[in-house]
Amino acid sequence: MTMTHPGLPWQWGLVLLLLICLLGVWAVIAPMSQPGNGYRWKLLALPVAGPLLRFFTVRPWPLWILRIGMVSLFLLVIVAGLFGTPIPERNFATMLTWNLWWTGLIISVFFLGSAWCAVCPWDALAGWLVHWRGWRRTQPAGSLNLRVPAGLRNVLPALLLFIGLTWLELGFGITTSPYLTAQLALLMIILATLSLAIFERKAFCHYFCPVGRTVGFYSQLAPVELRPVDPDLCARCTTLECYHGTNTVEPCPTHLVMGNLRQNTYCTSCANCSQACPDQNIAWQLRPPSQEAIQDARPHWDEAWFMICLLALTLFHGVSMLPFFENWVSMLARVVGAPGQLLSSFSLLLLLSLLIPVLIYLIFIWLTRWLIGSVLAYKRFFTGFAFVALPLAFAYHLAHNLNHLVRESVGFGTLLSNPLGMATQPLSMLEKHHRYLQILIPEDVLFGMQAGLLLFGFWISLKVIRHRGHSIVPAAGWRLFPMIVFAAGFTGFQLWLLMQPMMMRM
Amino acid sequence: MKCLFTTIPLFIFSGTWCTTVQAHHILGRPAYSISENSATPPSMQVETQIGDYFITCMVFPAFLKPDQPGRIKLYATRIDDGKPFQGDVSFKVRDDIFFNQKEELLGVQVAIDNVYRQDFEFRETGKYIIRAEFESGGEPYLIDFPLQIGDPAPFGPIGVTVGVLLFILISVNLFQRKRLLTTKIRDAHKDRSP
Repeated sequence: MTMTHPGLPWQWGLVLLLLICLLGVWAVIAPMSQPGNGYRWKLLALPVAGPLLRFFTVRPWPLWILRIGMVSLFLLVIVAGLFGTPIPERNFATMLTWNLWWTGLIISVFFLGSAWCAVCPWDALAGWLVHWRGWRRTQPAGSLNLRVPAGLRNVLPALLLFIGLTWLELGFGITTSPYLTAQLALLMIILATLSLAIFERKAFCHYFCPVGRTVGFYSQLAPVELRPVDPDLCARCTTLECYHGTNTVEPCPTHLVMGNLRQNTYCTSCANCSQACPDQNIAWQLRPPSQEAIQDARPHWDEAWFMICLLALTLFHGVSMLPFFENWVSMLARVVGAPGQLLSSFSLLLLLSLLIPVLIYLIFIWLTRWLIGSVLAYKRFFTGFAFVALPLAFAYHLAHNLNHLVRESVGFGTLLSNPLGMATQPLSMLEKHHRYLQILIPEDVLFGMQAGLLLFGFWISLKVIRHRGHSIVPAAGWRLFPMIVFAAGFTGFQLWLLMQPMMMRM
Repeated sequence: MKCLFTTIPLFIFSGTWCTTVQAHHILGRPAYSISENSATPPSMQVETQIGDYFITCMVFPAFLKPDQPGRIKLYATRIDDGKPFQGDVSFKVRDDIFFNQKEELLGVQVAIDNVYRQDFEFRETGKYIIRAEFESGGEPYLIDFPLQIGDPAPFGPIGVTVGVLLFILISVNLFQRKRLLTTKIRDAHKDRSP
């Protein structure tokens, strides 16, 4: 029997729909105001968080110890996956990777930005293997230090790998196979090591890592950033220790100059810049979460595609967990004349789910440009408005993952005493029901948070439309209406998805 | 010695007692009957829940070799009322490699005493995926389980990973050494030239 989680009650849906309509109308008729630079609070000045952050960012070894902890867990995942029970709900590998980490990772971005990348285990292992070092800088003797070929210097390789990861996760069923989960972990080590051994700095983090790039894009909406405390000091700096590193500190792994940094996308939170800066001018700050998407981030062709596809893939995650999705897969398999080839029909659905949102976006961009009557290039509109997709994708991804996290991480504690799940049986229906009832937070609180997140995403997307639209064509005004319909339509679809019962992962 | 005098009668008594006991029934059959005709333990055993059914699947004998006959046994009961499945079950096989869609039908079986039995014989050593397939309530049920014929590959995933990593690191190191040597020679030539 398939267990499903209840969806958002219709009362919540109705209230949310009303608020979406009201906000949409406001966005069309409200006069445009100039966006400010927003507040910036220095986290180092806070009583508890300040000293803690200083501890982790000023010295290299605390972060190194955290990395050792993460690597230990990662190795345990590999061991449990390869040698433990094949029952996914009894194995540490599948439970930690898919029920806790993969769902919690996106939620962590909401609070900590790209902090995950700073303790990423496959990058740490690759670094130790190639450079044979702890936290100090060494001569890069183990690496060829070649430049990444121009054709690969974009985020499209990461996007392709992310689509591949989604296919493995939802289609191939890697989430329910500890053995395959361990093999994926080993593959990540190989890819990270190969990239580090051939290319300069951390090309894998910059261009190829599907996890890192997803975290990077979402962290544009994080309320924290690693930035210069005094921008004037950076403007006068000629030595650029943040970019080049020092004798003891590594350079920025993704070629960022902190004085020019406007977006979190490629920052891996490694804290090399704050350790290298002789003036200790780089620190963590609090900021408005919409600042980058609205105005700071610069639009790029490849990044725009990544953001649109991210929206499509998050929606596909939701669709694939609807109870009737399996019927769709079977039906499509029959229609295309391959009734036994469910993986092929799933792949076809994945492709369609990518194409349809992209096509809708292209049409709405064309409509907006036509309504404005602009002579500016279509590409300018396409890249500029792509930031609309980011808050929509992030908000839905958070709401969806929150459901997984609070409902499916129950029982993880029992795995700590038997991570390999030796001599265990699959969950009985009684145990499933028991877990089903043991939700981590009250259900109404969960519904409230999910509704709040969807509204947050829609609100930020409206701000993006208004401000980006204003910056592309200052007199756009109400003619941005098609993009507002686009954002409202996608939020409405996300709301419908959240209102449906969702299948339990395992 | 005293101990021996008390233990032996107790042992004999327990033996006679046991002969009168009826076999325990699990899965609706005597517990040991699912592995009848097999003096060895199964080479693999899968117990899983899928849709409305609880499935038990075994492959006999253990440590299967090429050209040696083997048998799959499958037992499916409904989770809600425990009734055994009675329709046809087809058994298929394919090589356990990524993106392999080519399947071969082993046979279609009916239940005999609620157990589905499928005989097979493989000619080649390797890793295979056996698929048991049936339909119930208009929905297809597919149960995949791995089967190893012959000795497994000497290198598992960890061995392959370590091998690949060593190859990368050693190759890059050798290439880098050669590059450094070339640079040194070039620099030395530059220093000599006026």
